Amino acid sequence: MKISFNINGRNVKLDVDPMRRLLDVLRDDLELTDIKESCGEGECGACTIILDDKPVTSCILNAVHADGKKILTANGISKTRIGEILLDCFDQTNSVQCGFCFPGFYVTAYHYLITDGEPSLEKIRYALSGNICRCTGYKKIFESVIMACERLQEGS
Amino acid sequence: MRSPRKVDARSKINGSHKFIDDYIFPDMIYGYLYYARCHHGYIRKITFPEEFDLKNFIIIDYKDIPGRNIVPEPEPDQPFLVENEVYHYGQIIMGIAHPNKAILKQFVEKIEIEYEELTALTDIKECLEDESNAFGREIIIDQRQSLEPRSEWIKTSAVYYTAHQEQAYLETQGMIAIYNQDQRSIYVLGTMQCPYFVKEAVEMIMGDKITEVVIETAEGIGGAFGGKEDFPNILAGVASLLAYKAEKPVKIVLERSDDIVITTKRHPSRVEIETYTDPVTNKIRKLKIDYRLDAGGYLTLSPVVLSRGVLHSFGGYNIRDVFIHGRLLRSNTPSNGAFRGFGAPQAFFAIESHIDKIAGDLKIDPLELRMKNILQKDDRMPTTQIIREDHILDCLNRVIEKSDYKQKYIEFQEYNQHHDNKKGIGISICFHGGGYTGNGEKVLQSKVKMTIEKDAAVNIYVANTDMGQGAHTTLAQMVSETLDHPLNKTRVVIPNTSKTPNSGPTVASRTIYIIGNLLCDLSLQIKKEIQGNLDEYVRSHNTLFPKEYSRCFTPDPTVVFDDKTYLGTGYKDYSWAACVCEVFYQTSIFKLDLKKIWTVLDIGIPVNPKIAEGQVEGGLLQAMGYALTEYFYKPDFGRMHGFTDYILPTTLDTPEMDIEFIHTDSDFAKGLGEIPMNYPAPAIRNAFHHATGIFIDEIPLTPERIYENIKGKS
Repeated sequence: MKISFNINGRNVKLDVDPMRRLLDVLRDDLELTDIKESCGEGECGACTIILDDKPVTSCILNAVHADGKKILTANGISKTRIGEILLDCFDQTNSVQCGFCFPGFYVTAYHYLITDGEPSLEKIRYALSGNICRCTGYKKIFESVIMACERLQEGS
Repeated sequence: MRSPRKVDARSKINGSHKFIDDYIFPDMIYGYLYYARCHHGYIRKITFPEEFDLKNFIIIDYKDIPGRNIVPEPEPDQPFLVENEVYHYGQIIMGIAHPNKAILKQFVEKIEIEYEELTALTDIKECLEDESNAFGREIIIDQRQSLEPRSEWIKTSAVYYTAHQEQAYLETQGMIAIYNQDQRSIYVLGTMQCPYFVKEAVEMIMGDKITEVVIETAEGIGGAFGGKEDFPNILAGVASLLAYKAEKPVKIVLERSDDIVITTKRHPSRVEIETYTDPVTNKIRKLKIDYRLDAGGYLTLSPVVLSRGVLHSFGGYNIRDVFIHGRLLRSNTPSNGAFRGFGAPQAFFAIESHIDKIAGDLKIDPLELRMKNILQKDDRMPTTQIIREDHILDCLNRVIEKSDYKQKYIEFQEYNQHHDNKKGIGISICFHGGGYTGNGEKVLQSKVKMTIEKDAAVNIYVANTDMGQGAHTTLAQMVSETLDHPLNKTRVVIPNTSKTPNSGPTVASRTIYIIGNLLCDLSLQIKKEIQGNLDEYVRSHNTLFPKEYSRCFTPDPTVVFDDKTYLGTGYKDYSWAACVCEVFYQTSIFKLDLKKIWTVLDIGIPVNPKIAEGQVEGGLLQAMGYALTEYFYKPDFGRMHGFTDYILPTTLDTPEMDIEFIHTDSDFAKGLGEIPMNYPAPAIRNAFHHATGIFIDEIPLTPERIYENIKGKS
């Protein structure tokens, strides 16, 4: 089946088995290795992308779900102004450990920043609850996202 | 103390950092580890699906092994591939490879194996109860003082159990092996903690078919926690043999549902403790411990886990009359291996729960009992090692003060009388020996190397990997600070056995403590030679560069440990910690939550305080998972799926954390990685006991377990 979508600002046309996992199409066919696979069953959020306006786990979607949509991944986000601010906050707190879950956290936290952005610990905990990190204990991730919310509020 | 940013953070966040599954080589094909779906038995028949042309697949079994079918490290008793008898579910039988991942998957799903099933022991409790399953090494520490218990002394005895725990590194296990026919060499790239263990494994399986093996780690290692200490040996061995046969690069990356079934876990334990306590002085007079671990199907790492477990089992107390018996037992489950803490979390769960049990028998506050018996300056451990400072007492005093423990202990008792839901507060104290146990570091003789380039860039070569603990930033920082040289001109080179010396495995909280301090010694030696600014020196003596420097670990001759009696200096330096946990228990749904944890640690001087804090935060949350939710509820791992049925803490479960480092004696960095995993679980258990008066001798404290305990007692 022929599908087309826009990924990180680039238009893509592909001829694929529509039932293949979207994650495999992005990683294997388009070599977008900033999307990670960990659990493969939608539990951990390592493969999170923004599909149109929602953060979703690409390991439990089929390729056909992307047809006609706009996709944003960690790599695309890092090239935006808000993405750079968020990246700098994660970096400044030394929150990153093994980093395997981080592109997923980055995508989800970016989505929170552009849709809500209130520096509220409770809201951020809830927003990030679909992403699992085994290294950090989450504390510095919370601090980073709060810091990014505050920087954006100061800047606007 | 400064906390410079991590060298690898930006690329990890934006996803450009390369993990093993992100590497692609020309002509690369994909491999799969085909494993047994039988707990114990003989393989009678293997049937491959007829609809596939077998010529398109590379298939290897034990008969294809040109070298020896034995994994050399850590204890050489486990085959790479099953020969005839399957000893546990998940044991690797074959390696299979094909150019197309999807076809490979369809093929392996349709392979059928007939087994002649034998009696299998998969119930862990049953395994741990039956002494006739004893297996491998046994350890006895006998420091009995021919002291007859007096009739007024209070005897307290109980048995404590802990379950399997999965490391749950976010990146699953993976390797790429490449065979070079002309040079008869094998190159393996992968996610691992111990490149030199992997090298030995590949040399063993390949035998004389190859003349050179080079192991390199991927740019990123997506978490390990001990789980990538010994399993990579098997994985790299099988991948190498497939690559040799295929004459093409072979990549094997496990899916989560396979990784969780076939890789090593934390050892389940059964620890029986008997004490006699004088009710007048509240001094514990006699201590007897029977410490047992389920090794799983093969010994592998279990003997060394047992050593560390036994050497931490007596806890941070000054008790003179002690008898400890440590044993391994065998079951038909995957071999258990390394996991942060390495036998110590099981030991501290038992002893720290037991202290609360004694306090209950004496009807005193568990804090009071701890204060009466805690190890103080000039006291001796049962191994005869003398403690030089009030390390653990200082940690405990500070955490009690910060958490307002005494006030809350009384307040919560009052609150609980008038409320259905309960509040509780609990304590635990602990220590963790840095580096290999006993004479281990003497045997390892770790080596480090540094080069100084013509532009005064400093390259550090150590075999210790950065699996997320920030080691490569911290090590570079130690060298940069000692040399007074900019951090951006000082870096750790990704470990590669063709240029990196053997500085031992990345385990045992030894990377900063042993290797980092060794690099500081080497840096001091360089500094002495250059007598001033490195940049200027290199400029004025440019013909001398590039120049290589190296150094080997020199053991302290005053450190003596007897491997037979287990007496002497078990570890040259210990880290120490104490914590207070506050819990909330919802009675109607049997649900226990950790609200806040305060902890004070003595790890010497933290090099990069933010990285150190991050280690503690992550360790505390893993320990909370161990205490509350993480559980293989089916003894047959084969029916466990991954993160849907193995419950890891999420952002919503995370408690408030209050972490403080104090430092009592050493002016250098001691071990840190493992200690935060050792002690929160018993403090959570003790807090539940304080909240409800219910004494449960087992973790995790899932609602099901709490319910069963209450039902069983009413």
